Amino acid sequence: MQKSTIQFLLINCLLAIVLVSCGSVTKNYIPKKLDKTAIEVPYFSDSKTDYVYKTNITVYGNELSGIFIAKKINDTLHRIVFTTEFGNKLMDFEISDKSFKVNSIVSELDRKILINTLKQDFRLLLKKEYLIEEQFENESNNIYKSKDGKRDNYLFISKKEGKLEKVVHCSKTKEKFTIKFSSKNNIFAENIQIIHQNIKLKIELNHFKSE
Amino acid sequence: MKTKIALLILFISGNLFAQEQKMSDAEIASFKQDVNLVSKKIKTLSTDFIQYKHLDFLSKDIETSGKMIFKEPSLLQWQYKKPYNYTIVFKNGKILINDEGKKSAVDIGNSKIFGRINKLIVGSVSGNMFDDKEFTISYFKLKGQNLAKFIPKDATLKKYIKQIELTFDKEESTVVQVKLLESSEDYTRIVLKNKVINAKIDDSVFTN
Repeated sequence: MQKSTIQFLLINCLLAIVLVSCGSVTKNYIPKKLDKTAIEVPYFSDSKTDYVYKTNITVYGNELSGIFIAKKINDTLHRIVFTTEFGNKLMDFEISDKSFKVNSIVSELDRKILINTLKQDFRLLLKKEYLIEEQFENESNNIYKSKDGKRDNYLFISKKEGKLEKVVHCSKTKEKFTIKFSSKNNIFAENIQIIHQNIKLKIELNHFKSE
Repeated sequence: MKTKIALLILFISGNLFAQEQKMSDAEIASFKQDVNLVSKKIKTLSTDFIQYKHLDFLSKDIETSGKMIFKEPSLLQWQYKKPYNYTIVFKNGKILINDEGKKSAVDIGNSKIFGRINKLIVGSVSGNMFDDKEFTISYFKLKGQNLAKFIPKDATLKKYIKQIELTFDKEESTVVQVKLLESSEDYTRIVLKNKVINAKIDDSVFTN
């Protein structure tokens, strides 16, 4: 009897832990009637703009810095290059919603797990349009839920200025990573942070203007 | 019409030749001697630089600028001041970095590749890089300038840099431009300006 009670408690605890995670994104929020079915994100959508950011990557306590460059090269495709401050290329990708190509990567960074993580991060970072299924709200944000394969993305849009402030990428059970945007004009993001919850990885991008 | 085209071709190709003409063996020998004489005299060197990162798919080169200081035998500071502050110092087998106030150090010890990079940067700026064991070198004349092209022989180095081009001022035999080619489309071009040779530079400068 006692044994089964303990088991029951254990299972309950586990369930609680599992349910907290992505449920927690919406747990404290109030469901709302959908006010739109799609959201367009402007931050990397202009094919005329060279998106250039000074970048700091913190991975398991190690720091790596350089320059992050993104350019929309056609309707679906972005080119992404990461260089050192000296200008030498560390990686060069082509990425769309469905395709991914490594043009080059230095051997020190050529690890499948790293490439797959960055692919997932950058794909979401550059994503232009989200189809919305559910909507919630809290005090300051409208929160939109969009399906992403077996996972979900939650888009937080400020009520005051209508700006996309963050996207939270979740599996059914866990928050995987969050992208935070700071934008003055709602067209261009000056500061972007990609923060992983399950691995110790943080990527910070700060826009800089060439002379 | 045909003559016009022929003339045009002649004009264009003539122009090309005017831009980049191969040196003769005698010219190579004298050019190398001049550069080696000057670079041997260099005990310290400081220079302003402008770096242009060219990527074929971008509409504009990415421009950063700052100051470079070198002191014999191997102290080197590369300092970006615009549009961000970033300093990298090569000193006694260590790389010291100051990234907008955030300081860090990497012990490179005897890392071969970093040793090579250090030698390469110093060599590029001082001009003393005519090592036939390391590079396949070709020499050209330009208007008021000389140009040397270095293709790395080492496979590891070659992965990072396809070719290095150093442009020299003809009169002073010093480097005025460094171009690092990653591929035919993508390169980094560094223009050196306001060079000061053998001013007194204290070791304490080389810190982050």
